[in-house]
Amino acid sequence: MPSTIQVEIKRQATPNGPCTTETFEVPYRPGMNITSLLGEIALNPVDVAGKPTSPVTYDSNCLEEICGSCAMLINGKARMACSALVDKLQAERPGQPITLAPLSKFPVVRDLAVDRSVLFENLKKVKAWVPIDGTYDLGAGPKQAPQIQEQRYPLSNCISCCCCMEVCPQFNDVTNFVGAAPIAQAKLFNMDPSGAVLKEERLRALAGDGGIQECGFAQNCVQACPKELPLTEAISDMGRDVFIQQVKDFFTS
Amino acid sequence: MATTTTPAPSTTTSGRGVQPLRAGQGNSFLWHKLHSLSGIVPIGAFLVEHILSNFETVHGPTAYAKQVLFLNSLPLVRVLEWGLIFIPLAFHALYGVFIAFRGRSNVNAYPWAGNRMYVMQRVTGIIAFLYIIQHVWRQRFMGVSLPEHPGAAFAKVQHELANPWMLAIYVIAMIATTWHFAYGIWLFAAKWGITPGDKARKRFGYVCAVVGLALCVMGLASIYAVVTAPPAPEDALPAAHAALTLQRSPVGNQSVVRLAAPTLCS
Repeated sequence: MPSTIQVEIKRQATPNGPCTTETFEVPYRPGMNITSLLGEIALNPVDVAGKPTSPVTYDSNCLEEICGSCAMLINGKARMACSALVDKLQAERPGQPITLAPLSKFPVVRDLAVDRSVLFENLKKVKAWVPIDGTYDLGAGPKQAPQIQEQRYPLSNCISCCCCMEVCPQFNDVTNFVGAAPIAQAKLFNMDPSGAVLKEERLRALAGDGGIQECGFAQNCVQACPKELPLTEAISDMGRDVFIQQVKDFFTS
Repeated sequence: MATTTTPAPSTTTSGRGVQPLRAGQGNSFLWHKLHSLSGIVPIGAFLVEHILSNFETVHGPTAYAKQVLFLNSLPLVRVLEWGLIFIPLAFHALYGVFIAFRGRSNVNAYPWAGNRMYVMQRVTGIIAFLYIIQHVWRQRFMGVSLPEHPGAAFAKVQHELANPWMLAIYVIAMIATTWHFAYGIWLFAAKWGITPGDKARKRFGYVCAVVGLALCVMGLASIYAVVTAPPAPEDALPAAHAALTLQRSPVGNQSVVRLAAPTLCS
């Protein structure tokens, strides 16, 4: 293993500014991940030619694949900087520099930081919450059968990293597809005994333009998801529920 | 209160990038579902019928002519043809092209099985579309009209496939179309929530593969049968059946002349 690692990073100073690629050479340490690699650059922000530059901006928080902040394109694929191990990345493309770039389908804020508010907007559109806001204590919620809990738990692991949306061929500015994560969250809250009160509204929302029908079932989402959510299963289940709701509405509303 | 200016929506994406879901608005759900359904019924059902009917070529020009005559003897056959074949097919094809061009394939970055299938479904769909345009034009609306002359079906196809380029087009289109249909059934089951589980999708995948392969082999066998058969008579219909069309024919003499051929051959 060489004593240093080369990294090519796509950089952009302002949201609408020009982008450039800077190459860095970072001392190698065993067990490094992209977070620690970016930390090394921040310690000594000098590119491979010795030219001083600024530390690379990127979103991060927990550094342990639980907050979903640090998703970026690493060697061209959407994944989390914290759980992307340098040894594995170098084995992917031996002898070549590691490349880092911002997620391609979200507006760049700066460098590797992107604006992922479309996910937040979509979660709001599908009402991905349990409506228990009130002025008094509602007491204990309804009991949840363990069988339901077991189905819900994997869906509750979503970290809103947007990898499923980035890798989806249907998620683009023509279809404005809602993406796998909001569909999975709609299922999560539809299965919640308290959240189910908004079930019909969630299903109607998902039948709008850019809704569940735009899914092309390329199944990239489930491959890319760092938390291994059963996304295709959620889309399939919700596809049926949305259709049934549309039929019901057609005959009853 | 009226003077209070509403702050700009905090979507902050400022018009760039993918826009949020238009919850509950628009009709694209209906059109997508119609597109998906039309691929199974009536178009998929018609494809199965078409390949089964064409398989009669294996039994020779007379058997094939009888099948063509039978189909053209169905009640309201022109209504069936337009209502269950041409119009749904045109919709499925045009809306399918619309869907295909709205996708942004990324199979280079993510060369995964499902992603390859996603691209193949679009490629085979467009191959099938281009093929079907020329196929319908040349076999249904050009040359001898088969609804009026079912006996000429085998010879018409045989003349078409005598051109090696056309033969290659037919073989490619047969593979592409049956592939598109087989994966289309699988996609239908997955998207409509019939096979939500991973195991169910995998098992159903084998079913679709067997169906697709069977249709493809039958289709290719029909092509082989037509190409390798001895030159077919211009009218292969037996006299008994031809008599039915004879009554309708304004020029009876010509039909009688054409009838002579099969009796000589058989």
